[in-house]
Amino acid sequence: MARIVIENVHKSYGDVVALKPFSLSISDGEFVVLVGPSGCGKSTMLKILAGLEPASGGRIILGDSDVTDLAPGDRDVAMVFQNYALYPHLTVRQNIGFGLKMRGMSRSEIDRRVEEAGRTLGVAHLLNRKPRALSGGQRQRVALGRAIVREPRAFLMDEPLSNLDAKLRVHMRAEISALHNRIGVTTVYVTHDQIEAMTMADRVVLMREGEIQQIADPDTLFQRPDNLFVAGFIGSPGMNLVSTSLDSVGGRAGVEMFGSRVPIDGREIDSPRPIVAGIRPEHINLGEGPVSFTVRPSLIESLGSEKYIYFQDDAHQVTRSGDEEESSKGLIARVPNPGLLREGEEVTLSFDPANLYLFDARSERAL
Amino acid sequence: MRRSPLKSALLYGSVIGSLAVILFPVYWLFVTALSTTFELSGLPPSFWPENPQWWIFGKVWSERPIPRWLTNSAIAAIGSVVLSMFVSVLAGYALSRFRVRGGHSLGLFILTAKMLPATLLVIPLFALFSRLGMLGSLWTLIFAHSTLIIPFTTWMLKGYFDTIPRELEQAAMVDGCSPLGAMLRVILPVSAPGLAATALYAFVLSWADYAYARTFLVNAQSNWTANLGIATMRGEYTTDWNEISAAAVFVAIPIILIYLFLERYLVGGLTAGSEK
Repeated sequence: MARIVIENVHKSYGDVVALKPFSLSISDGEFVVLVGPSGCGKSTMLKILAGLEPASGGRIILGDSDVTDLAPGDRDVAMVFQNYALYPHLTVRQNIGFGLKMRGMSRSEIDRRVEEAGRTLGVAHLLNRKPRALSGGQRQRVALGRAIVREPRAFLMDEPLSNLDAKLRVHMRAEISALHNRIGVTTVYVTHDQIEAMTMADRVVLMREGEIQQIADPDTLFQRPDNLFVAGFIGSPGMNLVSTSLDSVGGRAGVEMFGSRVPIDGREIDSPRPIVAGIRPEHINLGEGPVSFTVRPSLIESLGSEKYIYFQDDAHQVTRSGDEEESSKGLIARVPNPGLLREGEEVTLSFDPANLYLFDARSERAL
Repeated sequence: MRRSPLKSALLYGSVIGSLAVILFPVYWLFVTALSTTFELSGLPPSFWPENPQWWIFGKVWSERPIPRWLTNSAIAAIGSVVLSMFVSVLAGYALSRFRVRGGHSLGLFILTAKMLPATLLVIPLFALFSRLGMLGSLWTLIFAHSTLIIPFTTWMLKGYFDTIPRELEQAAMVDGCSPLGAMLRVILPVSAPGLAATALYAFVLSWADYAYARTFLVNAQSNWTANLGIATMRGEYTTDWNEISAAAVFVAIPIILIYLFLERYLVGGLTAGSEK
């Protein structure tokens, strides 16, 4: 187990910048998740940590030693790959014991550790099988076994659950978290799935186009996004974002939203400024409230316990930067299932201005 | 789901048809070997001799230096396979895995070498071997065959290595292997079917050669390969086609045996299960 310090690590392929200067300090035993859309540089960072890709610059400290220029096998880290990367010509026992054999451990010690890892992960009865005779979940466990058996200083996991079906993914997510709690090895986990990031991480590093957007614990990331991208990425469905302007009427700051004047307390306004205002779908309620407005839903989706009410706000451009498909449907209110609601019929919705997020339209930073 | 009778008939019909086309020459080789010279010249030809002369195989084996010819062919073929595989495994792996400046063009350039007809290379190779004083040596065949085999096997192996996920050697490297160790301990065992198929291809190419052997070895009778030896069995005035066919059967047997032995390696799918 060890702390990891990443100092200004960056990576370019010719003129293409894959990773902008990246600095992060990970405490001993911490579970850090790198999350972001495809091509954001999260896997590149993980491979640099593993030693599989050389960094263009920067330093990596693992424990007390500088490992920047060490070969992958000399870093004492274990990695779990998206496609498991089990050695197909070896049995489960040989797969799990491979790293120990490479380190010249005695056969009896390898057997003891492999069997212990097998019991920990519930694959002890599969040790003599080849990987092709295993199910997806079993292969995933063997891949984890190969990592834990080495008792490395850190685990690196590259989207280890993305090849599993939805149900198994939820199950394995909980298993990995439980495993981490039990053995407490410093873990860096890469995923594009914000739910995995939010449920598993002690801290989340949200990335976009090779650049860190925010580093925070899951609650902070959700409640206090640093910028528009973080606000749009975290949360499902994503935050509703509308273009508007922050101005002062009668000495009171406020924004125009959904056809209503929404007062914003505690802000001094010199001159009107273009902003993006955001409200999470779950902060919009059905019925009257502090700020009420009426809409005609363009679509209503029932999820059983709750409903998603989609509506348009013609006066303000929708700029939600989350899921493209969701964005095209318009704005969303997520309300406890109120029973019968019809598309096209007027509905009154409301929200509390205290739940509003404001972002500068140009810099996209939170205000 | 059951196939419809029409589909079954078409399927079996086409399989039987293909087999007939492929196997007929082999069958005719046997018939020619077992027939008398008189039967061979008769019209219409008979599809099975009246009195098959099985003794012809014994006669040819004892009267002609078949074992030596086969040994020479085997030395040339095994030598070519070993040399070509050594070069093309490393080259194919490098082309598949490493980003080399101009790597793609280099790959295509290697392939164009294969497009040159073998006979075009005979003359420069002859001049080269002659100057080196190698003419008549089996080494000439090993080197000459390798020039034909390496471009193709490099491409075959590159294609095979491309299908093996990079994560396998990355996992091996994280587990403590050097890049070469990862290749030797993980990639090559996983590639066994591809290596076997490629080696077999190389072996057959060398085993089947006549032109190079004829050019480089014609004056070194003790180093004649089987194909060259058989060609010399044609007489100036008469030719015993049955004897030539019997000798050809001996030449074909090693290839058939190798196919039977390697068949299980040739059926791929060993990588199934490494991922997803």
